[in-house]
Amino acid sequence: MNCVELQQSLAEVEDGSSTEQRAHLRGCPACSALVEELDLIIAAAGELQAADEPSPRVWNSIEIALRQEGLIRPSRAGRPFIPSFSARWGAARWLVPAAAMLLLAVGTYVRRESRPNEVARQISMPAASASDLEDSDLMQEVADNAPAMKTQYEDNLRRVNESIRESQGAVDESPNDEDARRSLMDAYQQKSMLFEMAMDRSQP
Amino acid sequence: MVSKRAAKLVAIGLIVAGTLLAESRKEFRFSVGPRAGVSVMNPYGSISVKPSLNNTVIVNAILHSDKVEVDNSQNGNRVDIQSHLLAGADADSGRVDYEVLVPADASITLHSSTGSLRAEKLHGDVNLEGAGAAVDVRDISNAHVHVKTMNGSVNLNNIQNGHVEVDSLSGDVTMKAVNGPLVQVVSTSGRINYIGDFGNSGEYRLTSHSGDIEATIPEWTSADVSARSVRGEVHDDIPLQPKNHTWFTVDKGRAFAGTMGKVAMSSTVVLRTFSGKIHLRKRSEKQ
Repeated sequence: MNCVELQQSLAEVEDGSSTEQRAHLRGCPACSALVEELDLIIAAAGELQAADEPSPRVWNSIEIALRQEGLIRPSRAGRPFIPSFSARWGAARWLVPAAAMLLLAVGTYVRRESRPNEVARQISMPAASASDLEDSDLMQEVADNAPAMKTQYEDNLRRVNESIRESQGAVDESPNDEDARRSLMDAYQQKSMLFEMAMDRSQP
Repeated sequence: MVSKRAAKLVAIGLIVAGTLLAESRKEFRFSVGPRAGVSVMNPYGSISVKPSLNNTVIVNAILHSDKVEVDNSQNGNRVDIQSHLLAGADADSGRVDYEVLVPADASITLHSSTGSLRAEKLHGDVNLEGAGAAVDVRDISNAHVHVKTMNGSVNLNNIQNGHVEVDSLSGDVTMKAVNGPLVQVVSTSGRINYIGDFGNSGEYRLTSHSGDIEATIPEWTSADVSARSVRGEVHDDIPLQPKNHTWFTVDKGRAFAGTMGKVAMSSTVVLRTFSGKIHLRKRSEKQ
């Protein structure tokens, strides 16, 4: 089993516990890290409360991710608008929806009433890592495929990163401030949407 | 003199003829059943959807060059249309403008990066997405209306009993006579403008990180209103009955909360911004 086969097999056995998966994971740090991240998301999802029912926007995001994975029927018959995206990101491209889900999971943590100081600490790390990990790759993709829209994406990315920083600052200052936490969650969702939009089929 | 004028006319004629030759029109027709699904994916160019008179989907496409094709398919009750860019296509040569007629109960999904998206007089679900696309949705009833834009403006007009969700990063969002069980707008820096009466017993959540939020409502509106700007300011032209309990501290100038009208019909209204301004205005008789 190679990396691509392993990542495809995760749709069936997501915890990497099958014999073939375990054999591959023993020798592949990248896939091991991926499975660990999935475990983290699953664990976070398990802690969600019934009151934290996601909005339809979340379901839309999931639908888009599933379409990109080919797990549900795409609504078009032709080739993708972004042929180079798959080539450039390869199998790792599905890390982006996974990261988006991680961001949403983190956002949901923010809503939780308990342990506000710890929540403030928990959300600092993803804020930095999401920004460092994804922004340059995303902008490169936009520059390659839609240079005319590069400035617009840059501008909006800057705005949304600024909103994350401002909200994060407010949460750090006042961890019990429900509106500050909601602002931070919204900012993450908006950033997630920006990524989806850049990856989505409407992107020329 | 005459020859110069003639030369000009010939030149203009050639330009017009060249443009017309480059453009081509295509029409597609599909018979569908009730509650059909219609999807149009168009990287460059506008999409306009209106109701048809019967159970037919009619797609009129204007292709601006031969570097773009229109792929179409029907799978049962679902019709998919897609602009297919060929090698060398750019924003001009890859542009296609669509006018689509669908049965009024059809659900539509429209994607465009740069063209305008418009839907009107439907009662099926409307799902629109475009990075820089300006969105205009009007006269929709009993349906979900979901809109996502990056910096395109969003105008919603006369949406009745809708489940409305708008996500916009920096585009302004304007809503007139929009009501329903859920009306939710989230923006990073766009301005949100609501003109209406907040319906009956709905939930209205308007949020912008740094954009201003303005709601203009008649005095007889029934609503339970909470508004807060974490770093900005709020203004309230309408007297509200104060509430005993709120989830936030009501700092004067930064937040207000209260009820107006009949409690039994009251909608929940939450206006929230981080650094923008919030203004709850009374609608004058002229508006």
